[in-house]
Amino acid sequence: MIWPLLGIFVGMLIGLVFPFSFPAAYARYIAVAILAGFDSVFGGLRSSIEDHFDPVIFVTGFFSNGLFAAVLTYIGDRLGVEIYYAAVFAFGVRIFQNLAVMRRYLVDRIRNRCKKPSGLS
Amino acid sequence: MKRSNQIWITIICVMLGVVLTAQLRTQAGISQEIPTKRIEEMASLLKQAETERDSLRSEVHKLQAQLNEVMNQEKSVTARIQEELEQARSAAGFTDMTGPGLIITLKDSTRVAQPGQDPNLFLIHDEDLLKLVNELKAAGAEAITVNDQRVVALTEIRCAGPTISVNNTRIGPPYVIQAIGDPGGLESALKMRGGIIETMQFWGIQVQMEKKDSLVLPAYVGSHTFKFARPVDKEGDKQ
Repeated sequence: MIWPLLGIFVGMLIGLVFPFSFPAAYARYIAVAILAGFDSVFGGLRSSIEDHFDPVIFVTGFFSNGLFAAVLTYIGDRLGVEIYYAAVFAFGVRIFQNLAVMRRYLVDRIRNRCKKPSGLS
Repeated sequence: MKRSNQIWITIICVMLGVVLTAQLRTQAGISQEIPTKRIEEMASLLKQAETERDSLRSEVHKLQAQLNEVMNQEKSVTARIQEELEQARSAAGFTDMTGPGLIITLKDSTRVAQPGQDPNLFLIHDEDLLKLVNELKAAGAEAITVNDQRVVALTEIRCAGPTISVNNTRIGPPYVIQAIGDPGGLESALKMRGGIIETMQFWGIQVQMEKKDSLVLPAYVGSHTFKFARPVDKEGDKQ
């Protein structure tokens, strides 16, 4: 669990060292893409806890989700429809679901460890 | 959890962190700018002011037309035309003009160009005169002559070899520019810091200015017939 958090911190440090930013016009699309990225990361964590993690699916999912979310938002803006909200809603719901699953799994694990400290590693 | 899984997730997290920081920075930049709502508000205000201005302008036109009508009734038509002609002639520069103003005398620099320096920089060029005349016009000069050539609407100030051509007449240094207008205002417009006089003096061009209570500027002498241009009939060019 520690490594991904550390990864985010390292990434933010790199971002602070290299002071680049996006054009203001694209800020909305990048924001949706970041949300999609978070969704992918939480999904990856969940599946790795549940032991069916596939690196290919994870990496392609991360990029394609971000890209599609941004493209959909762009198309929505062109059409005058706030597809933006659909993406925010979908990713938000999934992030919370994944968090809930992970929480349950962690709680279970800690409980089991308390009951029989010799078992499970 | 397997180690390889964690490595993948960590790599992706690093990328996410980079993008996240950049996005935070972008967002901070956006919030510093004027909010879109304010811009829209100002745009609508501008539009409103513009429509108001247009309606006022049309009202001015209407009232002016009315005024003209009334004035025409009061004076006999010929006197009115005479007066209008007089006004047009003086506006076009076809009459001698007198009034308070400023005399500016320009002489080429006496400074010797250092080796490697362009000696052209120390001479007075058509551009200098043009800028000076332009500055005088901007400062509200009502009549201008350059070496007794009256500056009118179609006057050119143009390089002609070692001389300068004004009204198709060649003139050479020293250049004497006379302008009728508020002497103090004209002088301060020219003497402005970073202005034209300062630039010319930097190159050693000798500038003398003299405020006068009364100047007499000669009229424009030259052809004033049009070969190509014709006035458009006000009632839709019927011939």
